[in-house]
Amino acid sequence: MKNSLKLLRTERGWTQEQLGQALGVSRQAVNALETEKHDPSLDLAYRIAALFERPVEAVFDNPHT
Amino acid sequence: MTRWQDGASADRKYVIRTMAFTIPYVAVNIAAIFGIFDEIIGKPAAWALAAVVAAPILGWIWSILVLMRDSDEFMRALLAKRFIVSAGMAMAIASFWGFGESYANAPHIPNWMIFPVFWACFGLVTPFIRTSH
Repeated sequence: MKNSLKLLRTERGWTQEQLGQALGVSRQAVNALETEKHDPSLDLAYRIAALFERPVEAVFDNPHT
Repeated sequence: MTRWQDGASADRKYVIRTMAFTIPYVAVNIAAIFGIFDEIIGKPAAWALAAVVAAPILGWIWSILVLMRDSDEFMRALLAKRFIVSAGMAMAIASFWGFGESYANAPHIPNWMIFPVFWACFGLVTPFIRTSH
């Protein structure tokens, strides 16, 4: 799923490891999200959106619209 | 909600649990190779020996389920996918060889080999299954 996670992360100067710790997931999971190798669960998508203080669809492109 | 632990911590616990089940498995088999159980081979008591050696397999499966529980959703999905693919490969190989024994006079291979074959398949598929979808 296309997303702006890497952009949002680098804007804040965070490493994948740091973002993973903030979200409660592994660095591998952050990398998989950024490289579209993993579609997040609704719960994780909301956690990411909340962390960056944006709506979910501002982080993840809705593939159905 | 996830029960994700620190990945290194979950991995370390998995290794400890796996070793706890591997040591008795290997120890009983080595003891059998050295003839410790020769007196009961072929007798009803040998079923107990078979059960003791097979029991760690349930422990290994439990260990991987705990690892999945303690991993984040991406690692859990990868583990599940790798487990399903390798289990399918092991069953296909066992079936192929079993039918080979039935129809093509292939030499007999003990059924317990399916578990090492499963882990060999798991190791084989792991580098290739890197996405959750």
